[in-house]
Amino acid sequence: MLRYTVKRLLQLSVALLGLTLLLFAWFKALPGGPENRLLPENATDQQREALRASLGLDEPVWVQYGEFLARIARFDFGSSLSSGRPVATELADRLPATIELSLAAMIIAVGLGIPLGYLAAKRRGTWLDFAAVSGSLLGTCIPIFFLAAMLKVVFAQELGWLPTAFRLSAGADYTDVTGLRVLDGVITGEFGVAWDAVRHLILPAIALSSIPLAVIVRITRASVLDVVGEDYVRTADAKGLKPSTIRGRHVMRNAMLPIATIIGLLLGSLFAGAVLTESVFSFGGIGSFVYQATTERDYPALMGFILVIAVFYVVINLIVDLSYGLLDPRVRVRK
Amino acid sequence: MALLEVEDLRVAFGPATAVDGVSFAVDEGKVVGLVGESGCGKSVTSLAIMGLLPKRSRGNGRLAPDTEARAVTVEPAGGAEAAESSPAVPSAPAPRTAIGGEGRRRGRGADVDGRAVFDGVDLLSLPSAAMRRRRGRDLAMVFQDPLSSLNPVVPIGRQITEVLERHRGLKGDKAVKEASHLLDRVGIPDPARRLREYPHQLSGGMRQRVLIAIAVACAPRLLIADEPTTALDVTIQAQILELLRDLVESEGTALLMITHDLGVVAGLCDEVNVLYSGRVVESAPVRELFARPTHPYTIGLLGSIPRLDLPMDEPLRPIRGSIQDVIRWRDGCAFAPRCDRVTEKCVAGEPALVGAVHAHRCVMAEEVA
Repeated sequence: MLRYTVKRLLQLSVALLGLTLLLFAWFKALPGGPENRLLPENATDQQREALRASLGLDEPVWVQYGEFLARIARFDFGSSLSSGRPVATELADRLPATIELSLAAMIIAVGLGIPLGYLAAKRRGTWLDFAAVSGSLLGTCIPIFFLAAMLKVVFAQELGWLPTAFRLSAGADYTDVTGLRVLDGVITGEFGVAWDAVRHLILPAIALSSIPLAVIVRITRASVLDVVGEDYVRTADAKGLKPSTIRGRHVMRNAMLPIATIIGLLLGSLFAGAVLTESVFSFGGIGSFVYQATTERDYPALMGFILVIAVFYVVINLIVDLSYGLLDPRVRVRK
Repeated sequence: MALLEVEDLRVAFGPATAVDGVSFAVDEGKVVGLVGESGCGKSVTSLAIMGLLPKRSRGNGRLAPDTEARAVTVEPAGGAEAAESSPAVPSAPAPRTAIGGEGRRRGRGADVDGRAVFDGVDLLSLPSAAMRRRRGRDLAMVFQDPLSSLNPVVPIGRQITEVLERHRGLKGDKAVKEASHLLDRVGIPDPARRLREYPHQLSGGMRQRVLIAIAVACAPRLLIADEPTTALDVTIQAQILELLRDLVESEGTALLMITHDLGVVAGLCDEVNVLYSGRVVESAPVRELFARPTHPYTIGLLGSIPRLDLPMDEPLRPIRGSIQDVIRWRDGCAFAPRCDRVTEKCVAGEPALVGAVHAHRCVMAEEVA
């Protein structure tokens, strides 16, 4: 298991290094470098040269790349061109909100998706199966921003059951520990704050969970149908085991293998969806920040964002790979 | 009274009949063979006795979750057997209906009819929870492919102890100790280590030994072995058969041996039932059958065994054609299209099973003998 872990870690660092190279090349290749963004349009060539020199843009490419790597290693992504604050600080401030939202969405998707997918498989061909399959088709079809807006209009504005925006009610007094408001509330014992944060999370999390939920239902259904036809399930049945034992130990433990992979991939893709959901609910995560950075050609901010997301993907993939090793003994020992 | 008495067992998957009125008995402590080629219904017979066939939904609109689980399990077996037998039908007169195929497209599940009386109780009419309490305890089964029949992600030990826990109430260390004892008994060295290992870490022969250990864990009175040696090397086959013989002899367990291998039958069985196209065509004590085969199909089977004492250039003698599913017994002998001795009498009507100790289903049997 240790060798497996080390091997995966090495593979992932190579992948990350490759990504920095790509990122660097991409930013080099973009038309209208950052000096055009910083200088007025009537700047002289001399002024441009001076600025390029001060930004290190006149050095040989490989020196620039080395500098680039060194800065990344120090978490120095430069300052945001629009706000002037360090990109690392901006991201650190906003990332917890996005993480909290993504986790909440994933909890909904997994908590509902796996049981629903299982039931759909077990009652294949019944109305429940039909409803689950067509519902999940619908879930993948509805654009997130539309679903988010509809949820907001109906449940927040018309019915008034839940708050319309932000992460906490105005004037809420909370203590920041991890930046995840629900968790903070629980840790510090401020359960009122935690509940308030949950109420603010519900609608955006539902909106964001629609696609992963739909995918998990379908994967679970297909995976369970596959496993249920395996010889070892028949063996378990021939042993006269209780249905609950067959379900847990023999069906689900095997069916979880593909589901775990998909959950990992989905968790990464949630960040993309979070950009849209956050803007509808003014959730204050990295979503709005990235939106702004994109429209204003804020290269340092974009670069920082892409790197952070890439690291997330890589870390999540590592976790999935490791959990695969735990779930499937055949992966662990394969030479 | 026999330990297991199967009476007029019929199994159909949709319009395709897999077992068409099979009757036989297994006496306490005896080894009974069920012999026939792929697609003759021998596996389906064993699954029906075990209650492992999917029952067709009854009125309440949906299949019970566990029966549906089995629906998918069983179909590929039937389908595979049908597919296996399909290549060599040059002149199949009517369109073939694969045994599993039609059942898969229509509502899943099998129609099971008849009786399988085990120890005075008809297993086929037992409620599924009651049958579940007996399976693995009173009657157990060893399957054909030992790799796919073991759960790949659960340690061997757990797969043994779960059955001890369920039927013998053994828990924790006691169950582990008993599991280790069972592995020892089926001839697996270093059982303590093997208990922690996973199926893929074991050889094929050892996996089959594990499956046998699971099957005999609760000292069942009847053991059903469905081609337990087909997926194994020849040398391992001999070891596994030896092990089975030892176990049933020492425990007095009755064994229903399902096989297409007449060598296995000769070495292991007390009585033999030869199946063709879903019916018993001949049944006799093993010596009697080999000494005086009566049904042309049995004669063909025996004649097709390769012999070492004949010259090398002597061609093998197969039975021509292959098993056909669409031919029904009520239109005459189902073996008639492949039989060398066929006459008009053969296709005039349903042939009956005649004889007591040595029974056969052939109208020409007297002439044949």
